[in-house]
Amino acid sequence: MTDVSCETGVGLLMDYLEGVVPGDVRTVLESHVAGCPKCTAFVASYLATPRILREATAATMPPELQRSLVAFLRAQRDDRPRQKDR
Amino acid sequence: MVPEEATDEALASRAALGDNHAFDEITIRYQARVYRLACRLVGHDDAPDVVQEGLLSVYRNLASFRQESRFGTWLYRIVTNAALMHRRTRARRPVESLDAFLPEFDATGRHCHTPAELQVAAHADELLDRRVLAEEATAALDRLPDLYRSAFVLRDLEELTTAEVADVLGVEPATVRQRVHRARLMLRGYLGALAGVRP
Repeated sequence: MTDVSCETGVGLLMDYLEGVVPGDVRTVLESHVAGCPKCTAFVASYLATPRILREATAATMPPELQRSLVAFLRAQRDDRPRQKDR
Repeated sequence: MVPEEATDEALASRAALGDNHAFDEITIRYQARVYRLACRLVGHDDAPDVVQEGLLSVYRNLASFRQESRFGTWLYRIVTNAALMHRRTRARRPVESLDAFLPEFDATGRHCHTPAELQVAAHADELLDRRVLAEEATAALDRLPDLYRSAFVLRDLEELTTAEVADVLGVEPATVRQRVHRARLMLRGYLGALAGVRP
């Protein structure tokens, strides 16, 4: 393999990032991306996507829910012995 | 001298033997992470129910924790299963697929868009209002197929390793990579569309 299309490169991107593509394929992919402005731009947006979604969905647990959760779990375990105790 | 903090696994062993304080400590350690995970898997409205169901299931199954994996991985498996069960029992409106946001190529396999268009998703967080982005991100996760959502959330949002996600979901690492990749492609296209580039 001496070069790949953008489409083939995109298909191999995850495996490349996880380090599970063979060395010769890795070299061809790196060479393609280095010479292809479209793939360079694509890879930047592909890499940014998890970070953007991680930050946008980082919910904080409301304090009242923390209190009610502890109370709920205590009530449940007081009411219902575990299976091994039955 | 500060007493050494008990490991999760040690707490789980004590809790399994009936030490309720140990389970309280587990709850305190994990509740924020479990809540965040639940929000990402089922949305904010249903998350409190999943947190309760998930942690109660953890408590009831402590005796089955064999210490073959990390306690955190085992707990994530139980909460993820609780979330998936919860989604299945809810009558959900049909959601529009994200397939339309996959990247497009011409007949020779080259990208159809310009470099500037291809890169715009990387700046979605700068181009969009933070509150709008948070709402859209949650809605986008909801539109992913269940198999892709759980893999993407665990791998990319909760930042478990691929091997850990495979353990949680009971699939091969290659399957995790394939599902996460597909989800990333869809979500990347969706972010680009939000930022003004039509797929």
